[in-house]
Amino acid sequence: MSEVDAAQNLTEDLPPARRTARRDRWLGLASFAAMLAFWFAITGSGLWPPLVQSAFLPSPVAVAKTFMRLASSGYQGHTLAHHFLISLMRFGIAFAVCVVIGVPVGLLMGMHSGVRAVLDPPIETTRPIPKLALLPLFIIWFGIGELSKTIVIIAALFPLISISAMQAVRAVSVRRIQAAQSLGASRSTIFRRVLLPASLPGIFTGLRVSVGIGVTMLVGAEMVATSDGIAWMALTAADFVQTDIVLVGVLIMAALGYGLDQIFRVLERRIVHWAGRE
Amino acid sequence: MAIEPVALAAAPRRAAAKLVIDGVSKRFGAREDAVQALQPIDIAVGAGEFLTIVGPSGCGKSTLLNIVAGFEMPTTGRATLDGKTITGPGSERGVVFQQGALFTWMSVQDNIAFGPRALGKSVAESRDIAERYIELVGLTGFGKRYPYELSGGMQQRVGIARALANEPEVLLMDEPFAALDQQTRELLQEEIRAIWRRTAKTILWITHSIEEALFLATHVVVMTARPGRIKAAFACGFSREADPLIATTPEFAEAKRTIVGLLRQESLEAQRQETAASPR
Repeated sequence: MSEVDAAQNLTEDLPPARRTARRDRWLGLASFAAMLAFWFAITGSGLWPPLVQSAFLPSPVAVAKTFMRLASSGYQGHTLAHHFLISLMRFGIAFAVCVVIGVPVGLLMGMHSGVRAVLDPPIETTRPIPKLALLPLFIIWFGIGELSKTIVIIAALFPLISISAMQAVRAVSVRRIQAAQSLGASRSTIFRRVLLPASLPGIFTGLRVSVGIGVTMLVGAEMVATSDGIAWMALTAADFVQTDIVLVGVLIMAALGYGLDQIFRVLERRIVHWAGRE
Repeated sequence: MAIEPVALAAAPRRAAAKLVIDGVSKRFGAREDAVQALQPIDIAVGAGEFLTIVGPSGCGKSTLLNIVAGFEMPTTGRATLDGKTITGPGSERGVVFQQGALFTWMSVQDNIAFGPRALGKSVAESRDIAERYIELVGLTGFGKRYPYELSGGMQQRVGIARALANEPEVLLMDEPFAALDQQTRELLQEEIRAIWRRTAKTILWITHSIEEALFLATHVVVMTARPGRIKAAFACGFSREADPLIATTPEFAEAKRTIVGLLRQESLEAQRQETAASPR
């Protein structure tokens, strides 16, 4: 058998791509189901005596019940929806500010070396600082209201978003810009129809990464000087060893992060469908 | 013999030329480690001529094209179009790149309509122009597709149509078919020839394929290894023939032999430079 034949046989043995994709989807679901089953099993869920005390790890059934109870009667004077929405709002405002300011700043840094020279040092030197460590300072500067909470999230997301926008612009191929120039395009046309769209995939990657980090930052933002929010609820419940409420909070934040990421994935596939395909 | 030596920058040619490369040289970098990419080059290209430049890799032929396109400025000399010095990119000089220069976020139609739009034509008119050129390059029905949905050969057709849509007087082509397979290449070469005959554009074409040069061009320039200068120039008659199989004739083989001979020494020299530049 020649080498070519052998190679052909090898590829014929492999399942077609679609079957692999379907199998992987089932594997993903199965992995998820296994985790749930494990949780179910070690906590007993009322069917058998729990292996772990419910104060450490309540059963999924207990968590679901707690969720229903919180959904109907709220937590510490606020409805569950209020806690959820206030967290979403804190994240949303910070994220929106970062997009509206960070993306243009990053684009400018990518296009003008002068702007880059001015803005790169402050962004790069403050980037490695854990932003949570700055929270006390932000509270002193901006008070205990919403402002300091929003700013701590902004502080974490802004460098990420602006730097990814800057790198996206700088990675635009010179050939494409030259092509546009020799087609008679003005500077503003080149920005609008070449630089900006060509940078969008890179900008989107930055946005998706910062969605995950932004949700994580909620925990920090709601750590002190708050009386509402999902992360605050989980943190407060932990003080009273209400593990079931902690888990409800954690799961809601997980769902929030996952949901936002899915939304961005869909947007990405719609808007920058050409990304990574030559 | 179907090719004849020609003095490309002789006075009568210059007088009638559309595009003149006048003592153009290029040096890259600062004083100490500056690299001389091009030695002074003189070429006059008449209106409607199809001039190809062949040379070993690194000889500066793409640099020369970039200077004519206005992407780079010459260190000495100047390039002129209709007597006017070229100082930057302009829509009277259409450029087709090797690959990867299409606007991947735009449909085929929008890619081709980009030039007319940039020159201030209305959306509807630009679209009509795009449709015309889509047809010209044989992509009818693909206007709504995106570049990533097309083969390499089709993408190059889009690149050619995009450059033509502004009706430039001069077409500058930087190894446009280098990344394509042999069959696609030959087909596109025939089509380019047909388009050139129909539109009578002035074309400056960079290639490393001697056959492509002989098949397409009215004039072939052979360049030396870096720093590039003109080693030889020929007037060439094959592109005027109707026979698509002209490349299989003895005359063609003879002409190819002449140029291969010239280029071989230069390629060896280029290789020697390369190994000398990177010790071990």
